[in-house]
Amino acid sequence: MEQEKAEAPETKVAKAAPEPLKDDSIIASPDLAFVNEIIKGGGESVKKCYQCATCSVVCNLTPPDNPFPRKEMIYAQWGMKDKLFGNPDIWLCHQCSDCTAYCPRGAKPGEVLNAVRKLSIEKYSVPAFMGKLVGNPGALVLLLAVPAVIFLIILAGLGHLNLESIRNDAGKIAYSSLIKSYYIDGVFVPIFMFAVVSLAIGVSRYWKDMIKTAGVKPKGSITSAITATIGDILSHKRFELCNVAKDRKMAHMLVLFSFIGLAITTAWAVTYLYGYEIMHAMGKTPYPWLLGPSPYPLSDPVKWLANASAIALLVGIVMVIMNRKKNEEKAGKGGYYDWLFIYIVFAVMATGILSELVRLADLALPAYIIYFSHLVVVFFLFAYAPFSKMAHMLYRATAMVYAKATERDIEVK
Amino acid sequence: MAENKKVLVIGGGMSGLTAAIETAEAGLEAYIVEKTPYLGGRVAQISKYFWKLCPPNCGLEIQFKRIKNNPRIRYYTLAEVEDIKGEEGNFDVTVKLHPRFVNDKCVGCDACAQACPSYRDNDFNFGMDKTKAAYLPFEQAFPFKYVIDERACSKDCMKPCLEACKYDAIDLGMKPETISLKVGAVVLATGWNPYDMNKLDILGSGKMKNVITNMMMERIASVDGPTKGKIVRPSDGKEVKNIAFVQCAGSRDENHLHYCSYVCCLASLKHAMYVREQYPDSKVQIFYIDIRTPGLYEPRFYWKIKDDPNVIFTKGKVAGITEDPATKDVTVEVEDIYAGGKIKASFDMVVLATGMDVSTKSSKVGTAISYTPDGLVDDSALKKGIYAVGTLKSPADVARSVQDATGAAIKCIQSVNRR
Repeated sequence: MEQEKAEAPETKVAKAAPEPLKDDSIIASPDLAFVNEIIKGGGESVKKCYQCATCSVVCNLTPPDNPFPRKEMIYAQWGMKDKLFGNPDIWLCHQCSDCTAYCPRGAKPGEVLNAVRKLSIEKYSVPAFMGKLVGNPGALVLLLAVPAVIFLIILAGLGHLNLESIRNDAGKIAYSSLIKSYYIDGVFVPIFMFAVVSLAIGVSRYWKDMIKTAGVKPKGSITSAITATIGDILSHKRFELCNVAKDRKMAHMLVLFSFIGLAITTAWAVTYLYGYEIMHAMGKTPYPWLLGPSPYPLSDPVKWLANASAIALLVGIVMVIMNRKKNEEKAGKGGYYDWLFIYIVFAVMATGILSELVRLADLALPAYIIYFSHLVVVFFLFAYAPFSKMAHMLYRATAMVYAKATERDIEVK
Repeated sequence: MAENKKVLVIGGGMSGLTAAIETAEAGLEAYIVEKTPYLGGRVAQISKYFWKLCPPNCGLEIQFKRIKNNPRIRYYTLAEVEDIKGEEGNFDVTVKLHPRFVNDKCVGCDACAQACPSYRDNDFNFGMDKTKAAYLPFEQAFPFKYVIDERACSKDCMKPCLEACKYDAIDLGMKPETISLKVGAVVLATGWNPYDMNKLDILGSGKMKNVITNMMMERIASVDGPTKGKIVRPSDGKEVKNIAFVQCAGSRDENHLHYCSYVCCLASLKHAMYVREQYPDSKVQIFYIDIRTPGLYEPRFYWKIKDDPNVIFTKGKVAGITEDPATKDVTVEVEDIYAGGKIKASFDMVVLATGMDVSTKSSKVGTAISYTPDGLVDDSALKKGIYAVGTLKSPADVARSVQDATGAAIKCIQSVNRR
């Protein structure tokens, strides 16, 4: 500001067009609508920041050169969205909340950056309206209604609305008898593909924006940057650098590895079912270990992995909730967007575990109803992944790869 | 109702002295109750103070003279107010007097101190040196009387003092006393304490020898200070030629003091001047959020210091301090905002510009006090006839404290006269 004022008279006297500024200072035009979006998205404290830079100093994850989150706070206050979106730093932040705890003004940089990340996911959403819907509490019922209606139509079409009497050949409750796996896969495979394509487009746009904004092209091998990033993610070493939210490491690890466990479980079950079906269709006797349609006995290894992952995920997500409650005073409450994701994961796990238990207890009606809700929330988790906080895993990974490839990332021992 | 035209002033610093003197010179009677063995408060500890940059006695001396010349002022040192009962115009105050063990016959000859076998931490110098248990609080102390520190000196230790004194000034029989004062109005002028360094965890928690407060810096720079005015660092007495100032150490911070402490920027600028005057080859770096120099003339002082190429101003709040275990040099961690990078810089000594913490939080004044959301004394919530002054209500420099105390004097006069 001072510099602008000092320069103004000179240009007037010379009557020349204002010279381009020689240093890297910029003339900002505040985008108030964007500032309001940040405030609504959980960054209501953004205007309290008075740029003291305590946050950048206490942050252990920031690179020393042009550190975050101090500069992001002033970008946010001025609504400079291009500076924020095309910026790897908003994702290099893991929201340890050390900045928030030490902020002398209660400006909560961790929460503000979280709101910016939400808007970033929204910005790169394909299709764009989905990003707006998932971030809007008013649209929650609609978003849940979509899978509910889809599965109800399938059930009605199959004439399977008489839940009480549905049993498999052995006379047991079997979810594969309620809706055959083909129908489920017929819904989920396209949904999954949609999520993958949508995320791929979003991430590639983000990548291009980073190159444009930073003006730095990645050098060296992207592959090695990707390998290093995956190593960093799996080892959770960055979480160890946090102070206030140190406990998050265990919680996040449990959740991440349980998801990996459940992905393996799914692939395993697919092999059991389709391996069996294919051999059957080819007129061969399926191998005895290809168990065919579910349910599988508790003694089978696939159930060991499934149940272990389920319990670990439940424990992990409950720890996430408890850590957030415990650190609420220092780290902030978190917004709707965070809690939506956390509760959906919790709901996926709770309905999953309950549908197994109630099935084993042979209570047909509750079992099928719970299973139905399980399908609805799993649909929610995957179909809306590119627009929900679930997308953090790809956007953050992308930012980490970019940071490594442009030598901006910190060395994590 | 009996007319009670007396005023009690709690605290014998610049604000309290002013309030008592102004009240007494207007014809009322005033009592000063002071917790320490001397009058003068924080001003007495300062090396040079604004705006003339003169030593404290150039202002305090006048006040002491006015006290000596005015029979309507009585002061009690080593005294604490225990309780204030009653109403405006008719307060009944209980005051506890701690024994000094030295009476009015003391001439300040130092014989007792020379004879005394025990030592005590010198609180006047913030514990940076020791005095004998029989001591004069500081060279220009008023009243000019020695005092024996009971906690550092058992009765056996006092005996050599008794024997050494030729003037019969030592009285080992002194006991704590409780007296009762009847007054019409009360002024709270207990002042401020430097914010506790131990609470600043990212600034070393007060555990590093060469990280000191701005008030300690005043003592180090004072000719009657622990180093006789030579600016050397506490760990090894090395000359401080490379020094950093950390502004807003606890101030403007909702985790500590919510408010700007008003004086710290000017204090650090003044300290920069002390160092630069003493060591022409010294380097000073001041880390700040915003430099604030309130007052009519003070910005000029800032500009003067800013013109010195050896004083570097770096925008960015220090949020990490480490100590080299071998050399005891201090490294600060900060984001240099204009340069755009996190830096670590090492110094011989680091001064934390700690702010003004309201003293009533740590010592009692005998009446209920409520605080504003920012943690300052809420003057309007005090009992009628009781007035808070100076830094209790809002951080202030000496000049503003004096103004405010004069205002409190007129309030007291109105209070006792309108009844």
